[in-house]
Amino acid sequence: MQSNMVLEAPLTINWAINNSCNFACRHCYSRGDTHEELPRDVLLACLEKVAKAGVFSVNFGGGEPLLHPGLLEIARHASGLGLRVSMNSNGWLMDREMAAALRDAGFTKVGISIDSHVHEVHDRFRGVAGSHGRAVAALGHLAEAGITTSISTVICRINHTAIDDLVAFARDQGVGQLNFHNFKCSGLGLSHKDELDLSPEEWKEFYRGALAAREREKGLDISLDDPIIALLGARDAGSLVKGSVCGKLSLNIKANGDMTPCGFIPVVIGNIVRDDLKQVWRDSAVLEKMRNKKPTGKCSGCSKYEDCLGGCSARALALTGDLNSPDPHCWA
Amino acid sequence: MQTIHRNPNVMWREETDALAQVQEALDRGDEVEETGTSVLFSGGTMISLNYLGTEIWKLCDGRTMDGIVAELLPQFEVDEAVLREDVQAFLDELAAKGFISYAE
Ligand code: SF4
Ligand code: SF4
Repeated sequence: MQSNMVLEAPLTINWAINNSCNFACRHCYSRGDTHEELPRDVLLACLEKVAKAGVFSVNFGGGEPLLHPGLLEIARHASGLGLRVSMNSNGWLMDREMAAALRDAGFTKVGISIDSHVHEVHDRFRGVAGSHGRAVAALGHLAEAGITTSISTVICRINHTAIDDLVAFARDQGVGQLNFHNFKCSGLGLSHKDELDLSPEEWKEFYRGALAAREREKGLDISLDDPIIALLGARDAGSLVKGSVCGKLSLNIKANGDMTPCGFIPVVIGNIVRDDLKQVWRDSAVLEKMRNKKPTGKCSGCSKYEDCLGGCSARALALTGDLNSPDPHCWA
Repeated sequence: MQTIHRNPNVMWREETDALAQVQEALDRGDEVEETGTSVLFSGGTMISLNYLGTEIWKLCDGRTMDGIVAELLPQFEVDEAVLREDVQAFLDELAAKGFISYAE
């Protein structure tokens, strides 16, 4: 009684409710983005639209969501509409009271970005002294408030050989999930690519290690959101579709309401204020292209294509101008 | 009496357009087994159910097996024993995935 289907609306939305940030991260994808934010009433109405379309969950990001003065009200509104609410934060502004307030506003999950187990390395990378310590403290406050926590780590030159240390650190912090995000080459990530990105060989080494850790570590969910791991014969347990989830399960909304396939693809396909979500989801030519990728170059004839679908479309687009190009991280 | 309960952590929805299509197809007397009309999501697992699966899922609200079968029987032209067997197999599968639970 199970069947295949094309979803009529995304399951989840990554929503950058603001674009202000108190940090200056070297890999940030959103620094070049608009600073225009939706007025409160408009934003609340947009959440209603999203809930009505059947979306299950929204994950707030940005920018730093805790800098948005209306965050709690927005979250309360969203969870009141039946949406599951989570967010990603750098943790700097999290104290005990805030963690409790987030819980009361309906947050069930909060991810904190930590890029290294070594605090000097993280602080230098994030551009703010003391940020590691406050991120760690944030995890404690959240756990105390009963919110499920995770650590998000962007893999790049500063941490790619430290898998075991990062895993041990996550265990020490008592988080249930450790997200290794692959480096995306958009925004500042692209400007700092040469300094931060790994070579395809190094990605291979990293994913070998990360997959081994995922196998080994019980009780810690290590998530790898990169379709390229198909090359190592692995499928992420969380990957519900072939290739990547973008345009198939999830959608990104920017601070001004613009919709893009994912946070790393700067192609606007509509605006949530003006457009009908289900219609954009169904009719967008860009989403259509992402859902029906065509192998080009070395992907034609690659035995993994069916699972990998050419890897991350954002990286391909950023570096080659065509999302059908083979993922620049691919070592095949 | 064993009762059947949806796991409250499962997020789910019916897809209205697909449902409308299925209803039209049913009116014409066409097959609808392959068309998904709902999507269920939990703990990183997503499944989509066809019309009958969705109807069963919606009845997992604390009813018994007999209750579910009694509700479905008038809607679907099948033999009761066959329906019961299908429903049981389907529920066992949902239970194995943690989407429903049985309670005494
Ligand atoms: S060649 Fe293309 S399909 Fe094959 S692993 Fe590389 S990116 Fe994926
Ligand atoms: S395009 Fe790349 S970054 Fe965006 S969701 Fe897909 S895999 Fe992730």
